[in-house]
Amino acid sequence: MNCVNDPSDNRVMDRVREGELAALAELFERHHRPLFRYFVHLGGSRETSEDLVQEVFVRILKYRATFLPGADFAPWMYQIARNTHTDAMRKRRFEVIPGGANPVIDDAPSAEPLAEERIGRRQETALLRRALDLLPDDKREILVLSRFQNLKYEQIAALLGCEVNTVKVRVFRAVRALGQEYERLAQQRAYGA
Amino acid sequence: MNCEQAQAYFVDLWREALDAPSRAELEQHLAECETCRSECEEGRRTWQALGELRAEEPSARLRTRFYGELHEAERQRRRRERMRGWIGNPWASAAAAIVLVAVGIGVGRMTATRDDSKVANLQHEVADMRQLMALSLLEQQSASERLRGVSYASTVQEPDSDVRDALLRTLNSDPNVNVRLAAVDALHRFAGSPEVRQGLARALAREESPLVQIAILDQLVELRERSAVSSVDHLLREPQLNPEVRQRAEWAVRRLQ
Repeated sequence: MNCVNDPSDNRVMDRVREGELAALAELFERHHRPLFRYFVHLGGSRETSEDLVQEVFVRILKYRATFLPGADFAPWMYQIARNTHTDAMRKRRFEVIPGGANPVIDDAPSAEPLAEERIGRRQETALLRRALDLLPDDKREILVLSRFQNLKYEQIAALLGCEVNTVKVRVFRAVRALGQEYERLAQQRAYGA
Repeated sequence: MNCEQAQAYFVDLWREALDAPSRAELEQHLAECETCRSECEEGRRTWQALGELRAEEPSARLRTRFYGELHEAERQRRRRERMRGWIGNPWASAAAAIVLVAVGIGVGRMTATRDDSKVANLQHEVADMRQLMALSLLEQQSASERLRGVSYASTVQEPDSDVRDALLRTLNSDPNVNVRLAAVDALHRFAGSPEVRQGLARALAREESPLVQIAILDQLVELRERSAVSSVDHLLREPQLNPEVRQRAEWAVRRLQ
């Protein structure tokens, strides 16, 4: 569960800004997993995603004075995460490898009795992961922010610099595009088989 | 309501976050518009399928790196504060200048006569000093000093069993959660030691903080310590176990079996 709307985040970040650097540990413990998944869902490898999470927290320390009193921590942190991601893309440290960088085959034993059903579901999940990787960057990003990071529409709107209603429609269009990409890949697989 | 207005409501509908009047309005539109009805239904399936993508977990190294960086930042901040105090004091500045000149002369003489064995000896001495420093800091009263001790222990090259045992003691008995958390991560470099693997499993039974319990579970999974399954099972039998720890422990058992 993400704690992206927790008002106590803002108070902890206020303490970090005032010089109590050790308080950043609290924010790290709350947010490093969601941030890691953010980068993984954007298509990064596990290794690169860990590097970028580390970079986000280094930047939070470095730019702590820019967190203004009364500001909302989550959008501020995600703005840093987006900038970190953009910089990594520019330096080619972060390249999306469709379906290759993030294998989703879960090796945990499943409660489902039928092996075929289990394999079928794994293939569907892998196909969906691949479809997500193939989406244009802006569509993939808005889907990740709204579906996996549990950010409020207002927070996404502030991040992307648009109206709340625009965010809602863009999320729907990204979902529709993902469904279409998934169907296209499923058909390719059916013809290839 | 037109189709574009309806689309703005779809995601709230899938999230079950739509208020009753808006929901009624949307349902009326969906009853009349076949295109929106079909797009809403297909979108809902995709939205739900996205929720089934596995949640990836970072490795324990990320936490170790973060705490290392944080301690370094703390150390630099304290040093800057001390420097600011010194710069404001003319006597202290003069004393610092004299010390710098003396150190410069000393280093000059040393390098003039140095040979490889002296340098190697010096490196060993520095490593020993670092190790002693880590052990001594781990015994301090202040939690931030003990955190520094754990951080030092993580940077000692070729640490011996004294450091390993001190970290295990810290994990088992330190009253501060952050120090115990850092100790779990620092023990990762002793992954080859059976004492550490067994020590982590034993610490799991004793540990009361959910944060540290989760860190130990992550570490055991990363080390693929199958013998820890019984300790995790034992933990799962606790009726008052924190729900997040329970979820993590169940995941750990699946990964270790």
